[in-house]
Amino acid sequence: MTDTKDTGNEYLFELALFLATSGRNCIDEPPLYGPFRLLDALSRLTDFPKHAPSLSEDPFLNEVKTFVDEKKFLVTTDAEAFKQAADELVKRFAKELKRRYAQNKKEK
Amino acid sequence: MDIFEVIKGRRSIRKYKLKQVERELTEKLLEAARWAPSGSNIQPWLFIVVEDHEILEMVRKISPGYFGEAPLAILICSDKKRAHKIGGTLGRDYLTIADCAMAAENIQLTAYALGLGTCVVKSFSHGAMKEILEISEGIEPELLIIVGYPDSIPVPPRRIPLNDMVYLNKFGERLQLKEA
Repeated sequence: MTDTKDTGNEYLFELALFLATSGRNCIDEPPLYGPFRLLDALSRLTDFPKHAPSLSEDPFLNEVKTFVDEKKFLVTTDAEAFKQAADELVKRFAKELKRRYAQNKKEK
Repeated sequence: MDIFEVIKGRRSIRKYKLKQVERELTEKLLEAARWAPSGSNIQPWLFIVVEDHEILEMVRKISPGYFGEAPLAILICSDKKRAHKIGGTLGRDYLTIADCAMAAENIQLTAYALGLGTCVVKSFSHGAMKEILEISEGIEPELLIIVGYPDSIPVPPRRIPLNDMVYLNKFGERLQLKEA
């Protein structure tokens, strides 16, 4: 952990910088690097609660981060497996979305 | 160490131990780079060794392709003015890129032989890199090599078979090889 990531605002700046540099670089980079940067940004975003104490950790997003970090480098070695991982990720989000809706209904 | 062992053993490392890279090892990497071949012997490269923690952090933050917290980075730059003076537009626009890539390969293979891990990064913000490292006009950042002691070594990615890329005498006529 670096000293400069100690506050939420600094981490927000770092994330914004990552998106800005990725956005520029994606103009010239291989097409699959766009999805790759987005998924990497997702992984970095899930670290936000570590730097902003007012946010609570989300177990689902923590699992997502682990999954993304395991799979994201497939982009350089196996494009098809990378795509399957992205599909799997979306399915996981959809299931979680349904679960959260169902839970909200129960609580009302 | 056998040259093939080095060539086949090198991986792109994206997780590093916190251990610092000793200065004498860094010097060996730079010496290896210096002996790379170059078109018209232009030797267009310049190397910026970044080991200051704060500057390294800034470099990491403007480089989406920089993974892991390596303690050292070497930015290979090309001197476009010198390359143009000696090598014309071919030298400036093409040879410098090939030359810097050959210097980068020398660094990577030497690093592997010394027990270090590396990853070559081209996904950095060119403009931001020039600003942060205060790089003069006419000097262009080409490749960033991050260096450290590997914490995790990935499995080798699949290679296209030799038989799918080698021809004999004419393009299109396959040279049949025994697969290594």
